[in-house]
Amino acid sequence: MARFGMVIDLHNCVGCGACDIACKTENNTPLGIDWSFHEIKTEGVFPHVRYEYIPKLCNHCEDAPCVAACPTGAMYINEAFGITEHDPDICIGCRACMVADPYNVIYFNEEQGHIEWGGTGTLVQGGTSSPKEIADAVGAPIPYMNAERGNNYAMIREKGIVEKCNFCSHITPFGHQPHCVVACPADARIFGDLDDPQSRISQTLRAHAHEVLLPEKGTKPKVFYIRSYGRG
Amino acid sequence: MERRVFLQGVTLVGASAFVGCAPKEQASRTFKLGGKWESTLCQGCTSWCAVEAYVFDGRVVKVRGNAQSKGNHGYICPRPHLALQQQYDPDRVKVPLRRSNAQKERGVDPKFVPISWDEALEIIADKILELRAKGTPERFALFRGRYSHLNEILYKALPQIIGSPNSISHSSICAEAEKFASYYTEGDWDYSDFDLEHTRYILSWGVDPLASNRQVPHFINAWGRVRDRAKVTVIDPRLSATAAKADRWLSVIPGEDGALVSAIAHVILSEGLWYKPFVGDFVDGLSRFKEGERVDAALFEEKESYGVVAWWNEELLDKTPQWAFERCGIDAQSITDVAREFAHAAPRAISWVATGVSMQIRGAYNAMGAHALNGLVGSIDHEGGVVQTMKVPLNPTPDYKPYMDETAKAGVKHPIIDGRGSLALPALKKKSGGGVVTNHAAEGILKSDPYPIEVAIGYWNNYAFSCSGAERWEAALSKLPFFVHITTNIAETTQFADIVLPAAHSMFEKYAFVANKQNLHSYVHIQKPLVAPLFEAKADETEIPYLLAQKLAQKGFDALWRYYNEGFGGPFKDEKAFALAALRHYTQPLYSPKGAEAGDAIESFEALLKRGVWNAKRHPYGARLGHFKTATKKFEFYSETLRSVLEEHAIKHGVGVDGVMEATDYLARGERAFIPHYEPPLRFGDEKAYPLLFCEHRSRLNREARSANTPWYHAFKDVDPGDEAHEDVVKINPQTAKLYGIANMQTVRIESVHGSLTCKAKLFEGVRPGVLIKAYGQGHWAYGRHACADFGNAIARGGSNNHLYESHYERLSGSTVRHGGFMRVKITQVEV
Repeated sequence: MARFGMVIDLHNCVGCGACDIACKTENNTPLGIDWSFHEIKTEGVFPHVRYEYIPKLCNHCEDAPCVAACPTGAMYINEAFGITEHDPDICIGCRACMVADPYNVIYFNEEQGHIEWGGTGTLVQGGTSSPKEIADAVGAPIPYMNAERGNNYAMIREKGIVEKCNFCSHITPFGHQPHCVVACPADARIFGDLDDPQSRISQTLRAHAHEVLLPEKGTKPKVFYIRSYGRG
Repeated sequence: MERRVFLQGVTLVGASAFVGCAPKEQASRTFKLGGKWESTLCQGCTSWCAVEAYVFDGRVVKVRGNAQSKGNHGYICPRPHLALQQQYDPDRVKVPLRRSNAQKERGVDPKFVPISWDEALEIIADKILELRAKGTPERFALFRGRYSHLNEILYKALPQIIGSPNSISHSSICAEAEKFASYYTEGDWDYSDFDLEHTRYILSWGVDPLASNRQVPHFINAWGRVRDRAKVTVIDPRLSATAAKADRWLSVIPGEDGALVSAIAHVILSEGLWYKPFVGDFVDGLSRFKEGERVDAALFEEKESYGVVAWWNEELLDKTPQWAFERCGIDAQSITDVAREFAHAAPRAISWVATGVSMQIRGAYNAMGAHALNGLVGSIDHEGGVVQTMKVPLNPTPDYKPYMDETAKAGVKHPIIDGRGSLALPALKKKSGGGVVTNHAAEGILKSDPYPIEVAIGYWNNYAFSCSGAERWEAALSKLPFFVHITTNIAETTQFADIVLPAAHSMFEKYAFVANKQNLHSYVHIQKPLVAPLFEAKADETEIPYLLAQKLAQKGFDALWRYYNEGFGGPFKDEKAFALAALRHYTQPLYSPKGAEAGDAIESFEALLKRGVWNAKRHPYGARLGHFKTATKKFEFYSETLRSVLEEHAIKHGVGVDGVMEATDYLARGERAFIPHYEPPLRFGDEKAYPLLFCEHRSRLNREARSANTPWYHAFKDVDPGDEAHEDVVKINPQTAKLYGIANMQTVRIESVHGSLTCKAKLFEGVRPGVLIKAYGQGHWAYGRHACADFGNAIARGGSNNHLYESHYERLSGSTVRHGGFMRVKITQVEV
């Protein structure tokens, strides 16, 4: 039993986007569906300009409005780890979760993801490849597909259902860090068990004032932000 | 809900949820579980970080930093992740190709047709042997772009043994003017390293280390700690990724950095803030650096540096903050504040020089000055300051001279085609004509000066995109009677090739190694084939030259073949065995007692391959004091080292140093040629017709312009402050935009006296008014389906800055100019 959460240290974050891209490699998300993403704000007038980059992902709320809104139980709390998970087998794609989610971190598969890898278009006939030819050559529907993602979740999600971050639930229960955490060159992400007072995340939360996104929504997020991104 | 259990080794039906895009047999196949992390190295910029890739069922699926490295110490920036989409780029060249349309022109289909490796090598070998038979082997040229430290096998030995002096590297379109600054002050032709963990102040001259070259992951990782204990000032017309996370952003007028340098130095000296243990002091301890007053050098006792009084007398005495404000646009109070803060942090204060301040027409002295500030605060070789490189023990390239026959020996005596060492292109890498002038090779080819180039091989380069005035390269490459391009993708340069050879991807498909430094550690990182090369790709620097040598031998010219086999311990089973042997040859000292003495103790070649890393010991502080490799053995504010090289160059051309200054676009005369000094920037275009200044920067997602065909590059392009995903934008201050009636995200044309480009305008407060700023990296009209708007019709996606630029030089170093707002431009709306 654990209660997973994440701290994002904005003082350390440099806004490089490595987390976002690494997430795609770990979770086989199609173009336009980014479980890890960011919000950018530029404020002020030259030369007094403040630039801010805020990494965003599913907040794995204690009171998750997306779970409450889901009519089938496809969006659910995995009590063993305190994470909000999604079961693609019973998701009906009604998008009630997306409407309920104040953070815009749930994505709908309008089209079949990765369909481009079935493409046969070739720039130079016989000379260059095509997406399908590459996929065939390496023997996987997406050449860099992470098959381990398929261990506890659809390897690639079908058209007509939603998907979102689940704290890399195929590896984190076994002691691994989510790939966005591994990929962060700034050590800006601290992942761990909020119920363990000795965990680094618990220690960090005790040491720093912290905020969550949209606290007024009463969702009790488990993604916390410490310190600030820009000057001052 | 019950969680399904993760079990190593269990197979599962992998793509059952994968509908509608892959063939059925794929969708139903099973995937073996349990991959393995394997070491390799990233060459997406020149940090050359040690990475690990997760190899799963014969494919690479994800990457992470290699914790064995003390350089990037387990961290990587966003670039290596993009490499996955480069590796599996559908537009990669599969097999050797031969051009079947003789007409070489942009937009004209070369009509490439597949041929076998044997046919391709046959054709190339014949062309080389024709040159040798005619007794004109010098008419061969080898163009190098990015490279590994195995490069000399192809880049140096092959042309030399054939008989050509024309090994043309890309170095001077990169950053030679930056190295010029350190060489002519402290005697090292190299990039500096910085002790971030102990510094108290960083003064960044347009450097954006959180986004681009060099040491990106190390600097990113250290940055939070730097900000905890140090103050950071970033001088840049743009609110860069680093400026956004600095204490102070000074938005300088492009090209006027030199004024700021001189004023900071003026304040430090006139307020008596210089670091005396390094620079020395007046014999009686009284400060005599008073505005406008010359100082008697005899009254100053120098320590580790040389010529501070000359710097004051010849340049600094009247360079007040107010004087600088009138030029560089930074208010006098801020200049004074920065100078004081910087000096008070001495000697743990870094003045950080990179391309922005140096790759300008008159950039050599800017860069020298900005680097010399480190001398004033004594941070050279000091804890928290600026250090240099630790030596890495490697075996040299086996001697190829014994394999050069009379034809070859005569051939290599010809001058190189890039004009290096001529009066107006001194390229003073340690001596007159010591450096390459990459971009000028195009003129050499176009004018057949001093002789025509008839056969050329280019690898891992794309001069028709990456050089300023890129269209000159289109003309030059069109003129080559026979050109071979070794490449992963059909790039702009490839469009002019007669033979195209498919290159293995550096990170995942070939053996190689590099030596570099980060975090006060020099290192060697190893690259190795983690997966089978796609289709018929082969390693550019090893396998391909080996096969070509074999073909030449079959045709009766066996010198290169003998050299490769005898020099590297052959005979070899095949070209792959040669590649591995070459790696073993160069790196052998690393797993010997020599390596253990200088750094990590590694027991064998196999252990080195597996680990992927050899670290040198940490750079010691102070080792160079008293032993600088300059003429005076001191840190030179007055560069005797430059003086002797400039005089050598002047004598060679029968002029005085003033004549060299005049020929190289500098206004300095007399003694000022040997000291850092302010020069007003030289710009192309009339201010009335072209009222704005154009500047560029590197995208944090650029893999040196090779990542533009990856969809993720475009999807995440907004991680460059001010940029937009899926777009190529020019950033413009809203005030300036209003003046020209430009709306946000409107399509615009930017024009200079040289050329134009079309892209979108992004209104961004993080740009100095009057300046347009755009990332380099997009505007490809070839390379692939995502890089271009229309590959078949050679229509670019966005605009390439290099089409706005005159191919001009910082002549003393031979560097191609990109920075300092050297092109004036105008902006107009485009109806779409």
